[in-house]
Amino acid sequence: MIRDWLIQKVLPRSLWVYHTNCGACNGCDIEVLDVLTPYYDAERFGIKVVGSPRHADALLVSGPMTRQTAPAVRRVYEAVPDPKVVFAIGSCATGGGMWHDTYNVLGGADQVLPVDFYVPGCPPRPEAILHGIATALGLTPKEVHALHAIQEADEVEIEELAEEQRLVHERE
Amino acid sequence: MTVETITERLGQRVGEALLDTRTHKETRLYLTVDPAAVVDAADELFNRMQARYVITAATDQRRDHGAYLITHFFSFDADDVYVAVHTRVPEGNPRIDAITPTVPGAGWAEREMRDVMGVEPVGHPDPRRLVLPDDWPEDLHPLRCDFSTADSPAPVTGMEMPMKDIPEGAVMVPVGPYFPTQHEPESFAVFVEGETVVGSDYRGFYNHRGIEKLGCSDLTYNQIPFVAERICGICGFVHSCAYCMAVEEAAGIEVPRRADYIRTVFLELERLHSHLLWTGVAAHIIGFDTLFMQTWRMREPVMWLCEKLTGNRKTYGMNIVGGVRRDIPDDAHDDIERVLADIEREWTALAEAVPGDRTLMARLRDVGYLSPEEARNVCALGPTARGSGKRIDVRIDHPYAAYDELELSAPVEEGGDTLARTLVRLAETPIAISIIRQALARMPDGPVRAEIDEDISPGLEGIAAVEAPRGESFHWVLTGENNRPARWRVRAPTYANLQAIDAMIKGDVLADVPIDIGSIDPCYSCTDRMTVIDRRSGQMRVMTREEMLGSRQTAEHTGT
Repeated sequence: MIRDWLIQKVLPRSLWVYHTNCGACNGCDIEVLDVLTPYYDAERFGIKVVGSPRHADALLVSGPMTRQTAPAVRRVYEAVPDPKVVFAIGSCATGGGMWHDTYNVLGGADQVLPVDFYVPGCPPRPEAILHGIATALGLTPKEVHALHAIQEADEVEIEELAEEQRLVHERE
Repeated sequence: MTVETITERLGQRVGEALLDTRTHKETRLYLTVDPAAVVDAADELFNRMQARYVITAATDQRRDHGAYLITHFFSFDADDVYVAVHTRVPEGNPRIDAITPTVPGAGWAEREMRDVMGVEPVGHPDPRRLVLPDDWPEDLHPLRCDFSTADSPAPVTGMEMPMKDIPEGAVMVPVGPYFPTQHEPESFAVFVEGETVVGSDYRGFYNHRGIEKLGCSDLTYNQIPFVAERICGICGFVHSCAYCMAVEEAAGIEVPRRADYIRTVFLELERLHSHLLWTGVAAHIIGFDTLFMQTWRMREPVMWLCEKLTGNRKTYGMNIVGGVRRDIPDDAHDDIERVLADIEREWTALAEAVPGDRTLMARLRDVGYLSPEEARNVCALGPTARGSGKRIDVRIDHPYAAYDELELSAPVEEGGDTLARTLVRLAETPIAISIIRQALARMPDGPVRAEIDEDISPGLEGIAAVEAPRGESFHWVLTGENNRPARWRVRAPTYANLQAIDAMIKGDVLADVPIDIGSIDPCYSCTDRMTVIDRRSGQMRVMTREEMLGSRQTAEHTGT
């Protein structure tokens, strides 16, 4: 609770991030870097990429977690001072992506780190990365609407949920 | 040199040991030699006939032939010939003479062969692990057919591969695996005397994802392009294109001409955004962030254009075996031209400004020198080779897609330093723009993919290479059963170029190492561990992680 309060209170205006690639193809890394450049300009939100995890508030992780990077990423995570948040950027970091069952990949970033927020996509657009971070920090409202969908063969049945139940899912 | 001359000269050198020869369209030569003669054959090709070494592939053929198939690839660039030297190593004794003492550029490929297939390169000067993670057991080889991902052992912590011994009197500065801003993890151990670099060691392959295993165990021919695109997030189209061309060559599929032109347009769009990206990253490495922001601003419209044409900012989802999925509609030509014209105008101004910028010159000139001899030994590729005066370019040497009908040139610089490699890339960008314009103007009408009715029969081989923004991207496919390849081998250009780093950084000061590494266009890194030197005794040791954590805690307690 205190941690959430701290994050909402302290970080929104000046989030310093450290970016680690834990086995990515570079696609997400380039988009993360793109967020800093003139068209997207993350610095207007106070978001800045720093050169050392010890200066960071947030860790951006991209790529599937390979066996070789796992110990190093763990060390990077430990070096980030508390309170800290971890973002998994891209489909691979979210759940291992298409590499989830290869011999050298342990899975998504949450196999090794406690991930707080996920931004899926292959790669996620720069706007998606910005939006993900802004939503996490409470800079923009969360835009989700829970539905109940059942697929049988090619037919999909969609049901609206009762208000109370819907809010429970959306808060998750 | 024609395929006949090559066969004849090899026949003279190894005699009876040349078991079989097969050619394909006068541009591909597949040889089978006895394992005992493989070093002689490599020596004849590389040292006498001056071929360029490409890569080594290992294939598990124990079920059909009771042997491992080891293949060394060479290229005769001036003659448009690729040579594959096959050797079968019996499964009971998986050992083969290493060609690394003869062909220095084979060092990594043979270490990889030992890792993934368990075939021992006898006489290799540095037979350490290369590809597999530090905690992987010695006797488990993932590319063997009887290995399944379910057999992967649980991770073990605390294992680290030994680095090379530190030279007498030198100090080791660890660089990596993590470092500021972006890019991939990789570790360099840089040995310095004072400020001057005297040597280095490398531990990479942190991003090894087991793609080739997926390619020969789980995926069908048309599923692989999806994976191939994700080998690299920058030049994904290069890989899917090269893979598709290798399968097409193996199966004898004729690609419609319009598809060739569409592929060419996207390959050059990719070069355009990649060179803009590199210029920005290189500027960022040397602290020139204004240029970084400017080039990335120039680059962004290319990404929007790619999204408009393909549905994804990274030109994904275009290639399939037999052609491409989507056409370039005629009304998109204006959009493309608008983006090209903007970049051309701004790029001309930038390229003119670079030679006059004293900061850039001071940081780039006379650093990271790679001599033409060294470039040949490590088999450097792309702008790295062309910056050392080596005129190689797959688009010209081994024309593919529509390049045989287009006008292009390969700019070469003789300097061999980081500046030369930068100038090569600066000069290549307008050529890429010109190629896109030519391709759009000359694009014929017609279908964009071939209809493939028949299954691809097993046992066929195809070689394809594409000039990626970083150099030659090489793919070899051996077709198999069940609509999937028996073996798919990929060699990205950085594989060769990274081996040149050791020679490049020798003699430079430590501060130039990041831009030297950056100048081949891979990923760069900065120091992240600590080295302690006892000045009085002159002895040096690297602190372990536990010691570092201990000293940090002490510092926290005492408030220092």
